Amino acid sequence: MSNIREVSEKVNRLLNEKQQKVYAFEVTESEKRELNTENAEFSLYRTIFDSKINVTTIQEGRKGSASGNDLTDEGISKAVDDAILGAASAEPDTANQIAEKQENGVFHTGLYEADMDLFYQKLEDLLGTIEKKHPRIKILALIADHTKSHTIYANSNGTEFETFDGAYHVEIEFAGFEGERTTGLSYTGIATYDLETPLIEQGDIEIQLSDAEKALNQAGFDGKFEGTVVFTPGCLGFFLYMLSYNYLSPSVIMDGTSRWLDKVGEKVASEKITIELKAQDERLVELDAYTDDGYRAENVKVIKNGVLMTHLLDLYAAGKTGRNVTKNSSMNVVMEPGEISLEEIIASVSRGLIVGGFSGGEPGANGEFSGVAKNAFYIENGKIAGAVSETMINGNLEDVFRNVTAISKEIICDGSMALPYMASSGIVISGK
Amino acid sequence: MLQDIISKERDRFAEGVQTVLRGHENRSRSVALLKGNLVNNARSESRGISARVTKNGHYGFSSVASYTEKDAEMVLRAATENALFLDQRAKAPRKTYPAQIPGQIPAPRLIVDFEQKRIIDACRTVDDYVAKKYPDLLSRRIIYREDSQDKIIISSDASSGHVTYPRCYIYVFLTAESLSGAPVELFHAFGGFGSFEDNFADVTKLYPVIDELYRHLMDKREGVYAEAGRKQVILGGMMGGMLAHEAVGHTVEADLVMGGSVAGPNLNKRVASDLVTLIDYAHTAFGETVPLPVYLDDEGTFAKDAMLIENGILKGYMNSRESAQFFGMEPCGNARAWEFNDEPLIRMRNTCILPGTSTLDEMIASIEDGYYLIDTSNGQADVTGEFMFGVSLGYEIKKGKLGHALLDTTVSGIAFDMLKTVDMVSNQVQWESSGFCGKKQPMPVGMGGPDMRCYITIGGR
Repeated sequence: MSNIREVSEKVNRLLNEKQQKVYAFEVTESEKRELNTENAEFSLYRTIFDSKINVTTIQEGRKGSASGNDLTDEGISKAVDDAILGAASAEPDTANQIAEKQENGVFHTGLYEADMDLFYQKLEDLLGTIEKKHPRIKILALIADHTKSHTIYANSNGTEFETFDGAYHVEIEFAGFEGERTTGLSYTGIATYDLETPLIEQGDIEIQLSDAEKALNQAGFDGKFEGTVVFTPGCLGFFLYMLSYNYLSPSVIMDGTSRWLDKVGEKVASEKITIELKAQDERLVELDAYTDDGYRAENVKVIKNGVLMTHLLDLYAAGKTGRNVTKNSSMNVVMEPGEISLEEIIASVSRGLIVGGFSGGEPGANGEFSGVAKNAFYIENGKIAGAVSETMINGNLEDVFRNVTAISKEIICDGSMALPYMASSGIVISGK
Repeated sequence: MLQDIISKERDRFAEGVQTVLRGHENRSRSVALLKGNLVNNARSESRGISARVTKNGHYGFSSVASYTEKDAEMVLRAATENALFLDQRAKAPRKTYPAQIPGQIPAPRLIVDFEQKRIIDACRTVDDYVAKKYPDLLSRRIIYREDSQDKIIISSDASSGHVTYPRCYIYVFLTAESLSGAPVELFHAFGGFGSFEDNFADVTKLYPVIDELYRHLMDKREGVYAEAGRKQVILGGMMGGMLAHEAVGHTVEADLVMGGSVAGPNLNKRVASDLVTLIDYAHTAFGETVPLPVYLDDEGTFAKDAMLIENGILKGYMNSRESAQFFGMEPCGNARAWEFNDEPLIRMRNTCILPGTSTLDEMIASIEDGYYLIDTSNGQADVTGEFMFGVSLGYEIKKGKLGHALLDTTVSGIAFDMLKTVDMVSNQVQWESSGFCGKKQPMPVGMGGPDMRCYITIGGR
């Protein structure tokens, strides 16, 4: 294994020897220990020793990047040379920049060293609890790992960030089975430092397992209607991803296709909506210390009481469009809770669905979406009538966040996002 | 290209276990122009060694991000320790799989590298063509992406060899404003197996297809919403390929069958009309090399075709060595890994529904009120066979003739129900290979199909 402090010094020296004036680089060394099950038995144990070098140089506005995983002298030289050659091949563009000098920092997050014996035991407990408490659940796959990484980022403005991160991750893929009946696949996962609290009680693992069992009891309805959809936190996270890509991301602001191009400072969503990207939040496990451009990451309010506060622009897109750069390039999203419970939200819905997942194409630039509601339950007169399959939902992404009727006070945190349940009206729901 | 420094490490393989040692290098090149701005200009390489050791059916795996004899020794030791970690804690041994007759794959195709400037210039040429010829576009993106895998696979009890899989593509995205003021988009992927020179020696050959893409986009900007509900449609070849992959292919991957997929209880039963035959091709189909040929998988199994559905009857699954033993089938080389640090998983290769005898014109003429669904943006499916595809390009069919273009929509259904409604299949196959399939790891896959007349559920307002 390499000493990345030494590697970092070599990269810096090499870039200076080659007379690079503007550059940034990142070197990482990581170790992952991963357990996999098949038919709820441990079948595979992986240990992965990895490394990464990423070099970007900008010569008179010409930008090139190269990356690799070879931290030998030869590998370092190749990455540096490839980046320089790449830059020489590019056209000049004054928007190619790196962040101005930031205060240097060393950041430690999580548990750097794994206790794999204890983790194995906690995973066995999880599988045992599922077998006992949820006999109609079949685990298709459980992938659990501890990953630690040590990274040094540095640039030609003298900024240096050093991070030491470590966390446990658990991902489960499962379905409800009874006789010949089976539900669709469900997925859930957590990132955690906590091996004290039983794993089944973390994130939404218990809720999802219960829902998959309940989904064996199917209800149905004919035709289509306009109704209310209650998005689970997991599904809401996916809709927030689509929202950010379609209306806020660098590409749609640069090419002018965003429907929210000139909406900063204006109301774009229900006043119930407040969304923030987090750099510090004690509920979240894996937070970015710095952005891809080399800024110290900050908490960034994206929507406050329905008003759009900022697009999500990197330095290049900000320079290209004359807008502000966003000092958070993560998807560590937190949404403010509401004041009523999920139970009260369901009771207020005359006709609609709870939707746990969305299987659909990413909406086009106009925000129109259409797809299958997965892990979905039909609500009629304030009560859950049963699970549904082959049910589609259609609507407009912008309208989903405008027509919010309620936000739950319950928040689910999976380690990377902390989100409530959200109900929106006016969505077209089509049955079989 | 990797030099073989690991074959001699075979001497270090432990007794009483099954071992595969893999030297593995991936390379990618990418360039992106957004409205003429160079927004991505990057090169990447990753290289390392992995070992997988199997003890009483328990797999130990280890990898390291460097490539020396010492590294090979280290991963062999760590993988063995991991296999023992599981074996010692297991309540019972798992079932092992039999040895195969050893063989050797011949020398690989060379991976040829090109300067970044050449790639940028090619993208710039295409971008200039689009910008000058179609100035009314709202936006345009020209994206080049190349990835290649170079693997040396040394197996203790199966075949060994050196294989390479280069591929590269230019994606052209065009965006226009619809009559209602909303943006509409279409894209086309050019390229396939091979290097830059194999695919893009003369980029002017792309222009006629770009012109056709623009014509479709102009139709789409005046497009109408599809009427929601169950409709008779023709699924174009690209849609057929997506169906073969997403809706059927995944359910017949043996690991998902063991997990309870719908294919389990349907083996040797009718799952489609007798016009439907589905094969996962290894390297050759219809007398030609398939889009992404595979010759040897990462467990050391020689790749051969896997028959999945024959004349509507479900005949087999795609297997690893372990699952093949479990189901009493023959492994066909489907166990593949993406990066040096990935373990082999059961993956599709080139999944294709076979052509029939009808012509597309006959099929269109045969529909009174329906849709011709030509291209898809993405697709997903469940182990129940419930699927969803985004439709990015399609047209109405009214009284046997094509009508208005469609705005983006979605189709869905249950694969084994929908395939039973197929009653006409065209005599031409379209292949697509520019994407990645996602299943723990990404993986390049080819998918193909003919036009098929069938009934399907369309989403819409």
